[in-house]
Amino acid sequence: MTTPALELRQITKRFADFVAVDRVDLVVPKNSVVALVGESGSGKTTTGLLALRLLGATAGQVLLNGEDITSLSQKQLKPYRRQMQVVFQDSYASLDPMMTLGEIIAEPLGIHGMGGRGERQDQARNWLEKVGLDGSYANRYPHELSGGQRQRVSVARALILGAQVLVADEPTSALDVSVKAQIVNLLQSLQTNMGLSMLFISHDLSVVRSLADEVVVMLRGRVVERAPTDRIFANAQHPYTKALLDAVPTINPKARRRRTFLSREEIALRTPRFRPEELDAPPLIDTADPQLVALAGSHFVEAIVAERAIP
Amino acid sequence: MTGFIVRRVLSMLVTFIVVSIVIFLMMHSIPGGPFDGYEMPLPDNIKAKLMATLGLDKPLWEQYLRYMWGVVRLDFGVPYQSPGETVMGLIAHAWLPSLTLGGLGILIGAPLGILLGMAAALRRNSWVDYLASAVATLGLTIPVFIISTGLILVFAVWLHWTPASGWGEPKRWILPIMAYAAVPLATYARYARSTMLDVLNKPFVSVLRAKGLSERKIIFQHVLRNAAIPMVTIFPAMFVGIATGSIFVEAMFRVPGLGAYFVSSIDKRDYPLEMALMLLISAMYSLSYLVADILYAVLNPRIRVGGGGR
Repeated sequence: MTTPALELRQITKRFADFVAVDRVDLVVPKNSVVALVGESGSGKTTTGLLALRLLGATAGQVLLNGEDITSLSQKQLKPYRRQMQVVFQDSYASLDPMMTLGEIIAEPLGIHGMGGRGERQDQARNWLEKVGLDGSYANRYPHELSGGQRQRVSVARALILGAQVLVADEPTSALDVSVKAQIVNLLQSLQTNMGLSMLFISHDLSVVRSLADEVVVMLRGRVVERAPTDRIFANAQHPYTKALLDAVPTINPKARRRRTFLSREEIALRTPRFRPEELDAPPLIDTADPQLVALAGSHFVEAIVAERAIP
Repeated sequence: MTGFIVRRVLSMLVTFIVVSIVIFLMMHSIPGGPFDGYEMPLPDNIKAKLMATLGLDKPLWEQYLRYMWGVVRLDFGVPYQSPGETVMGLIAHAWLPSLTLGGLGILIGAPLGILLGMAAALRRNSWVDYLASAVATLGLTIPVFIISTGLILVFAVWLHWTPASGWGEPKRWILPIMAYAAVPLATYARYARSTMLDVLNKPFVSVLRAKGLSERKIIFQHVLRNAAIPMVTIFPAMFVGIATGSIFVEAMFRVPGLGAYFVSSIDKRDYPLEMALMLLISAMYSLSYLVADILYAVLNPRIRVGGGGR
C-alpha cells in the first residue's frame, strides 16, 4: 500500500471540558478526494484545522506524506507548509482587503523565498488564468470580484506553491448554485490534472457526491461511518448518515422524501448491530459500546457487535 | 474625490448656518441682557444707549444678518467682557494653553492607548488584557473633573511631585496633560483591541499561518495595516475633545485657556464670543469628520479605486 498523502491517527482535540474531535482516524490516499461531512458542530472544521496544524492536537498524530508533523515547531513546519494548503468558506474574509489579487496570489512565493519579484508576479498572472480569471485581474482588489471569482483566487493562492494536499473547508457553501457548480468543476479538473489529494469538508452532499472518492461522516466529534462514495449513497448503515441523506433537497416536489430528525436517544436506539461473522474483519476491541467496525467493501460504521443481531 | 470634498465642504457650510441660527436664537432667548448682571444696576437711559451702540435694539433678524455679514468678512465682533480686544484676538491668545496641553495630551494618550490595546489583543485574557479593559472602562466612564481631582490628590497633595495647578513653567503642565490624555488613552485602548481582534479572527490570517508566515510578520505586514484604517479615522475627532474637555480640565487646574470663556460668555450674555466659540466647535467637528473621511478614502482600497464597491 502506498503512503497516504494525509493521515490522521486517533486525533483528539479538547477545548476545556468539551471534546471537539474524539479519536478520529482519517486517511486521504494520494490523488483522491475524501469528503468529511456532518452537521455544524460535528467537529469537521476542527479536524481540518488539526490536519493543517493550525490547531494543536490534544492527542493523536498528523502524518503528511508519511512524515509525522504532529510535534514540529512552526519553524520546522515551514517546509511542510508548501505541501499542504487550505481554502476556506468565506471568500472575502480569506483575502487581505488591502492587497491586490496579484500580491495575494504571489505572497506564498515570497514567504518561501521563491523567485524574484517580477517572476512571482508572472506566476501569479499564470495562476489567475489557470483558475479561469483574466491575467489583468492581478491589479484589482478583492472587493471588486464576485464570491465565485474570489474563491478562484483563493484556490490559485493555495496551489501556487505546488501543494499536493488541499484542505477545502466548505469552499462552496457561501456560493450560488450555478457558481457552486463552476467551483466544483474547477476543483475537479485541478485535482485530476495536478494529481491533488483533497480533504473536502462539507455539509453539502450533492457536491460531495460529484467530487469525492470516499465519504467520512462525523457526529459530535466521532467518525460514525466511512465508505466509498457510491456505497454511502446506496447503502448507508448508520442512522445519522441516513438522516443526512434524507435531508438533501430534491427538485421534484413529489419525490421529496420524508425528512428525519434524530435525537441523541434515537441514534443510540437505532445504532446498527452486527454479529461478528457478518463483519469483514473481527472488531479490534471486545466491548459492548458502539465501535467502528469493518463491513465488506471498505465500509466502516459505528455499530454494536453482539452475538445475536437485532433485525 | 474632488467632487466628494466639494460636496462635504458645502454641507459643512449648511451645518454652520444652522448652528449659527440655533445658537443665536438660544442665546437671545435667555432672559436678560449683557448689562443686567452687575451688582449696581445701570440707569435705564445709559443701558438703552449702550444697547443702541451695540445694535442690540434692532429686531433679532437684523441683528443676526449683521452678525453673519461680519462673519463673512472674518469680523467676529468685540467681546462684551473684554472690550479692549476683538473676539478673534481673545480666542487666539486664550487658545495657546488649551491647544498646547490638549494637543500634548492626545499625542501622549493615543499612542499609549494603541500600544495597550494591541498588547491586550495579542495576549487575550492576560493581565495586560484586564488592564486595558480597566483603563478603557474607567477612562470613559469617570468624568474628567473627577480624574483631575484624583490626579491633584495623588501627585500634588500626597506625593508632592507636581504643582496642583497648570500653565506657567512646564512642570505645571504635567497634571493637565495627564487629564487631557485620559480620554484618548481609554478610547484607543478599547478601539485598538477590538479592531486588532477583528482582523486576527479573519480567515486570511489563518491562511497566512497555513502558508508558514511567521506570527510577527503576520501582525506587522497584515494585521496592523488592516487595523490601522479604523484607528486612523477616529484620530481627528480626538481634537474636538480639546475644546470640550478644556471647560473642565482648565477649571480644575486653573489654566488660563479657552475653557473658562465657554461658561462665562453664556453667563454674561456675551453674544459675539459665545457665537464664535460655538462656531469654532462646530468647525472642529465638521473638519475632523472631513479629514477622517478623506483619510479613510486614501487608506482603504475599497473606496480608493473608483468607488466600486461590494
